[in-house]
Amino acid sequence: MVDIVDHYICFLFQLKIHHMRLQRSLGACKFGIINYFDALKLQERLASDRKSGKILDTILSLQHPPTYTLGKRRTDHNLLVSEADLKTMGAELHYTERGGDITFHGPRQAILYPIVSLRDIGCGARNYVEGLESVMIEVASFYGVNAHAGKTGETGVWVGDRKIGAIGVRISSGITSHGLAFNIDPDLSYFKHIVPCGIPDKGVTSLKRETEMELPPDEVIHEQLIHCFAKVFRFSDIQWKTQ
Amino acid sequence: MASRLLWASRAASYLRISAFHRGFSTVIKDLKYADTHEWVKVDGSSATIGITDHAQDHLGDVVYVELPEVGATVAQGKNFGAVESVKATSDVNSPVSGEVVEVNRELVGSPGLVNGSPYENGWIIKVKMSDTGELNSLMDSNRYSKFCEEEDAKH
Repeated sequence: MVDIVDHYICFLFQLKIHHMRLQRSLGACKFGIINYFDALKLQERLASDRKSGKILDTILSLQHPPTYTLGKRRTDHNLLVSEADLKTMGAELHYTERGGDITFHGPRQAILYPIVSLRDIGCGARNYVEGLESVMIEVASFYGVNAHAGKTGETGVWVGDRKIGAIGVRISSGITSHGLAFNIDPDLSYFKHIVPCGIPDKGVTSLKRETEMELPPDEVIHEQLIHCFAKVFRFSDIQWKTQ
Repeated sequence: MASRLLWASRAASYLRISAFHRGFSTVIKDLKYADTHEWVKVDGSSATIGITDHAQDHLGDVVYVELPEVGATVAQGKNFGAVESVKATSDVNSPVSGEVVEVNRELVGSPGLVNGSPYENGWIIKVKMSDTGELNSLMDSNRYSKFCEEEDAKH
């Protein structure tokens, strides 16, 4: 009788070797602080180029000036101040097509926007988002911070019941845009003006608050996030471009 | 046989392959399928459209469905709406071109129907087709099953 399991194992091993031979490069573009709208336009252009195969999988690394953003569901009941007040604070408000609820972005918060083909990285939405969570969890661990993914329905990364990293993704024609926001040391008082991610009882935190170690410059943490992303999604190498 | 399976799953995890991934999602025989994981049920020139079991499994729990307006035009391969799950919005594409004649309003209050009943109560839109010839470019259930297996084998 044919040993089906032995044949299946041989088949899987051959697939693995084949996969290991495929070289998948990740293009990494590093920016300083860029305006939300400009970053959005850049992502749209890159996603279109990625879809037509003009470029490889790419990741943008940047920070934003003080900006509040809403997702596709437009949950603006979670914004606790008026738009006029936001202007007074020097913050912008943007409505987007990403998943997720309301959130805040600002200086000292690391933003990654991967523009990747889910098919090429072999993911569906769920395991892509889990991968993004594991990227932030791993980088937090470099600083002795024990972070974890949320319970079902609470996508994001937590230390205890304080949120240190947020995720909001858009998948269009199988290409991702938007991504993750990881609090290095942003001004957390901006979060007082929203119900962050629509979850009223939980607070926000930052790497600075949770670690006992001295933090390196933000650029180092951005690079660590990119390296972890490349590792989690099994890219063979990173091609760095600085803007 | 049991110890053989145990050895198999240990070998698979050493090689970091998902050996027993739930790759065998339900596929319904008489439907047609797009390579973006939408299904269409044809009745004359009327088409009912939803996403497949494979799609809902890879998305996670759907919390929101963005529906088009009745009367909107849809085009084959173009998106007509979106679903949100795990903080990710994913476009849903139409397998056929035509006019939207009905949308599933149940999904507004119960978006989870897409997960629990992807081929029945989780239907998304009904379309009056403008070109039934487009059905020829879609996959049948056997071809779609193979397509899913090939996709899942990629990682």
